[in-house]
Amino acid sequence: MQLIQQSKQESLPKSKEINQPQFFPYTNNQGSCLGICGEKFAVLATDTRMSMGYSIVTRNATKYLKLTDKCVLVSSGMQADIETLHKILKARLTIYQNQHQKPMSTPAISHLLSRTLYYRRFFPLYTFNVLGGIDEDGKGCVFSYDAIGTLERVRYSASGSGSALIEPILDNQVGFKNRGDITDKTGFLEEDEVVELAKDTLTSTCERDIFTGDFVHIFVVNENGVREEKFELRFD
Amino acid sequence: METVELYNSQEQIVLDDLSEPVKTGTTIMAVQYKGGIVIGADSRTTSGALIVNRVTDKLTPVADKIFSLRSGSAADTQEIAAIVRYYLNILSTEQGKPPTVKMAANLFRQFCYVYKNYLLASIICAGYDETDGPSIYSIPLGGAIIKQPYAIGGSGSTYLYGYCDANFKEDMTKEECVSFVTNAVGLAIARDGSSGGIIRYAIIDSDGVERHTIYGDQVKNYFK
Amino acid sequence: MENYEQSFNYENCLRNEELTKQGYEKKKQRKTGTTIAGIIFKDGVVLGADTRATEGYIVADGNCEKIHRISDYIYCCGAGTSADTENTTALISSKLELMRLTTGREPRVQNALTLLKQYLYHYHGYVSAALVLGGVDFKGPHLHMIHPHGSTSTLPFLTMGSGSLAAMAVFEAEYKTDLDEESAKNLVHKAITAGIFNDLGSGGNVDLCVMKFQNTQFFRNFDKPNKRKFSRINAYRFPKGTTQFLEEKVTLLRKNLVIENLDKNNNNNDNDNNDNNDNNDL
Repeated sequence: MQLIQQSKQESLPKSKEINQPQFFPYTNNQGSCLGICGEKFAVLATDTRMSMGYSIVTRNATKYLKLTDKCVLVSSGMQADIETLHKILKARLTIYQNQHQKPMSTPAISHLLSRTLYYRRFFPLYTFNVLGGIDEDGKGCVFSYDAIGTLERVRYSASGSGSALIEPILDNQVGFKNRGDITDKTGFLEEDEVVELAKDTLTSTCERDIFTGDFVHIFVVNENGVREEKFELRFD
Repeated sequence: METVELYNSQEQIVLDDLSEPVKTGTTIMAVQYKGGIVIGADSRTTSGALIVNRVTDKLTPVADKIFSLRSGSAADTQEIAAIVRYYLNILSTEQGKPPTVKMAANLFRQFCYVYKNYLLASIICAGYDETDGPSIYSIPLGGAIIKQPYAIGGSGSTYLYGYCDANFKEDMTKEECVSFVTNAVGLAIARDGSSGGIIRYAIIDSDGVERHTIYGDQVKNYFK
Repeated sequence: MENYEQSFNYENCLRNEELTKQGYEKKKQRKTGTTIAGIIFKDGVVLGADTRATEGYIVADGNCEKIHRISDYIYCCGAGTSADTENTTALISSKLELMRLTTGREPRVQNALTLLKQYLYHYHGYVSAALVLGGVDFKGPHLHMIHPHGSTSTLPFLTMGSGSLAAMAVFEAEYKTDLDEESAKNLVHKAITAGIFNDLGSGGNVDLCVMKFQNTQFFRNFDKPNKRKFSRINAYRFPKGTTQFLEEKVTLLRKNLVIENLDKNNNNNDNDNNDNNDNNDL
């Protein structure tokens, strides 16, 4: 994607089309990520494909950030902004650690992220984030955001190019929507079940979404810390 | 409550190119010498930034000794050339003798003039006939017809006016004429981004047509 | 001249124009990303295509057929709007078949080329079909490409579609004249694979078509490089009553209703790798 482009002004009649170089600060490098929380754990996953238009830039992009032993952030959107955001957060967390001699709690990080995004309200970082981990009580938590810092604590969330494909599956499987067979809709899934579901969901997503593919990084955050797993998707 | 969706204007460069009409951003040239003509062209056909064909033959015959050199939309010029070829075929059968270059050129002019709002075609029609000998007609965008001792066309021709003014002579020898044409096309290829590839040229005289090719690595590099 | 005006219905054009003026969003044409390619080898032509059909950024069909039959010895790969490529090739195919029946001769590739280019030229690029046409007639192997606006090129190796650059890179590096059949097949396979993996608009499997004089072999799913790597077994089972409803009304079927099971007739192409039922494996 070129940042300087010839823009065609469509309002003008064709003969008077003006070709003017314009600056486009954003580009979408696409990709999908998701987060699901269990009772005492959270699972976060993001694919590793970075693309520009119809070409693959890298099959091994890093779109996650291990913030603490109890908190992981996965992002999609514009890779440059993702990296900037991750850098800012990492710095802020280091400062916090040094000042307080303890890592920041996951809910606190969720607000920090929200503030960091809203700080750029009128020139946003083009990132779509899912934050997850375990909170001070050891309960699993997932937070969903928009690009300018809306914050919501949810049981599960998906963002990025394949989010429209992932969300309905999670609604049904994790949120128990349209499930007459399940009476307790507040229940949680087991850890291995959630990991399997995340793998299957992303495998299915990359069957239909052309911007999702290559590999997935899966993070399981529980009382023992963060467990990381790399998982293969399709390469086309 | 509403969350914000950022709008991102993203264009698919290659895909846009696919739907872009195929054009011959070209260098074409025809020069008269004593007893014949030499025609020459580069070989690049583009669609947006994509080279569709790097060994295009832009010297399209419409009769035995009459050629059209095409520039503009590939689709338009191919179609016009096909129609003109068809007409000339009928005409020569009716007359019982080969068509003249004048006839061919005026057929081109007819199409280019009548359909000027729908076509993107600028053509050089050149050849040899028994009535007028070697002759060259240029039919530019609006559908005019100009008889010239030499004609240049296509986007690469803008780089050639000075060279041609300085170096063209009436009644050159065949060899002089060939080197004039191939040098000129080589110069245009060096400077014009939408011209390139190999040089195709042909010598047309009373004996017939003699076709030649200069491959890419033998095209002179004028920067060195 | 043919009267092409009879072939399309334009009656909604004015209405749509009016709606656009009122500010309704204009329906955008969707272009499908594709990799198609063809080469000439010693005794014939090899055509190749990927099998991904996209609708915007969503894969509409992961295993579609992009190599269309024109006649027994002429095949055509299509890129662009899939409806346009399918219908254009089908139309020209039927015209050539009628011609074959009236003249009693096999149609030539040149014949198909002229019909296709004149048809596309007539519609000024609005029929967005980018085609790679290949075949072998008594004059030998032929390979052409036709652009949506009706211009054509004739080359020993060519590629089209959004993956054309990836595939052409392979051809430019490795193409030689007078390849034998096996290496020609491998080369096209490699080119299509390059398109599949490096272009997001292309994907799925590799289809090949090898044409020699009076002998055509179509390899549907010649290679399947993108098999599903993970799936959960028996994970999603919904017991009866999962879907809730507001109202229930039961109507009994008539007693003598016969339910016939129409067995799907597998197309028996002369093709070993063919398994048409395997549609789930996109």
